[in-house]
Amino acid sequence: MAKPVVIVVGADKGGVGKTTVSRTLLDYFSANNVPTRAFDTESPRGTLRRFHPDITEIVDMTTAADQMKIFDTLNAVSPSVTVIDVRAGLLSPALASLRDIGFLDAAKSGQITFAVFHILGPSIASLDEIAETAGFMQGAKYFLVKNFINNTSFFEWDQATYNSYFHRIKDATELTIPKLNEMAYEQVEVASVPFLKFVANKRFNDEAANYSFVLRGYVRHWLVNVWSEFDRIKLTDLVGTGKSDSGGE
Amino acid sequence: MPTTPIFITCSPRPLVGRTLVARLLSEFLLLKNGTVAAFDINLKEPSLLDYLPRITETAEIDNTYGKMALMDRIIVNDGIAKVIDLGFHAFDEFFKMSEEIGFLKEAARRGVSPVILFVADSDRVSMRGHAMLKQQIPATARVIINNEYVLRGEIPAAFAGDRMLRIGALPVFLKTYIDRETFSFTSYLRNEKDQSTELSQWIRSNYVSFRELELSLILQGS
Repeated sequence: MAKPVVIVVGADKGGVGKTTVSRTLLDYFSANNVPTRAFDTESPRGTLRRFHPDITEIVDMTTAADQMKIFDTLNAVSPSVTVIDVRAGLLSPALASLRDIGFLDAAKSGQITFAVFHILGPSIASLDEIAETAGFMQGAKYFLVKNFINNTSFFEWDQATYNSYFHRIKDATELTIPKLNEMAYEQVEVASVPFLKFVANKRFNDEAANYSFVLRGYVRHWLVNVWSEFDRIKLTDLVGTGKSDSGGE
Repeated sequence: MPTTPIFITCSPRPLVGRTLVARLLSEFLLLKNGTVAAFDINLKEPSLLDYLPRITETAEIDNTYGKMALMDRIIVNDGIAKVIDLGFHAFDEFFKMSEEIGFLKEAARRGVSPVILFVADSDRVSMRGHAMLKQQIPATARVIINNEYVLRGEIPAAFAGDRMLRIGALPVFLKTYIDRETFSFTSYLRNEKDQSTELSQWIRSNYVSFRELELSLILQGS
C-alpha cells in the first residue's frame, strides 16, 4: 500500500495566493493521474471547493470531528494524496495541532510523507513567519513559495535581507510562482473552473465553452511554468508516482 | 475545408514600406475575393487606415483587452482573408504575445493560416528581428519582402534561404504619386487606358506575386 501523502498549503497572511497554489497542485496531480482529495478550511464557504467541488470537502480544522475526518482516513487505499488548504493566518496553529495529535511524529518516523507549501508575501512580516514554521518541519518537506502576484521582488535586490530569510532554513526548497495576467486570472475566477478546464476551453460539466483564446493562452503558458517548478522539485516522486514530467499543455 | 489566411506585414524598423505592402495586398485581396478585413496597429506613421478606411479597423496590443479584441477576432476560419499592418513599435510585443499564447498552434487547430511578411532592411535591428522570427515561425509561414526601394538590390546574407517576394523600386515621382491617400492601385489599373505604363506593370507584377503566394498557401494546405 502506498504511503499516505499530506500536503499542507498555508500562509500566515491573507491575499498571497495560497488557494491559487492549491489549485495548481490539484491540476498538476490530475494531469499526472494521481488520485487526490482536498480539504478546504475556509469554512463555511471555501474558495478551493468552488473550483474543485468533486474532490474537495470543507472542514473546520479547529474541531476534533473534522480533524478525525482528515487524519483518521489517511490510510485509505485511494486517494493516497491529501491536500489541505489552510485558512490564512492559521498555518502555525494548524501545524501545532498536527504536532499535538502526533501527526508530525508519524511523518518524522516515515509512516507518512508530509510536505508544507508555505506561501510567502513580500513583506518582512511574512518572511518572519519562515522561522516560526521551520520549527515544525523535521521529517517534512518544506517548500517556500514566492508567489509573484504583483511586481514584487522578495528582497532579491538586497542580498543581506534575502539571505537572512531564504538561506536560514536548512533543507527548505524555494519555488517561484510567476505572475499570471490579471485579466486571465479574473476570467478563470468568473468561469469557476479549474485552470486545466479553462485552458481546454471547457465548462465544469465538460461542455464546450467560449473563453478568450488569448486568455487561455496566457493561463496555459503560466501553468506550464508553474508545473515546471513542480517537476523541478520532483513532486511526483514525493507522492510516489515516480513520473517527473507533467501532462504538458 | 480551405483555410483562412492572415497576412501580417511587419518590421522592427519604421519607413521600410510595410504599409505600402499592406495596402497592395489588401487591394489585391479585395479585388480577387470581393472582401478583406484589414487591421492597423500603428502609431503616428502613415497607416493603412488613412488609405483604406472602409476596410480597415484600428487595433492595439498595448493592453490585454486590445490583444483579446484583435486576436480573438482574427483566429476565426470565416473565409475572409485578413491583413494586419503591424507597426514597428508593436513588433516585439506582438510576437512575444504570439509565442506565449500559442498563436500558431491555435491557428492550425482552427484552420487559419498566418503568413508573416517581414519587410527586410539592412539595419541590425532588422536582422535581430528576423532572427527572432526564424526561431518562432516556421519557414513555410515566413516571407521576406525585398523592397528594392529600401534594400537597393543588396540583400543581406541573413535573409538568404528564406522565401522572398520582390517589390520593385518606383521612380521618385511615381512613389510620390502612389503615396497620396486617395490613390488606389486597383482603380488605377481599371481606369488607366495605357496598360503598358510603368506603374500599371508595377502594380500587376505585385498582384501576380501575391497570387503566387496565395497558390503556394493552398498547395501547402492540401
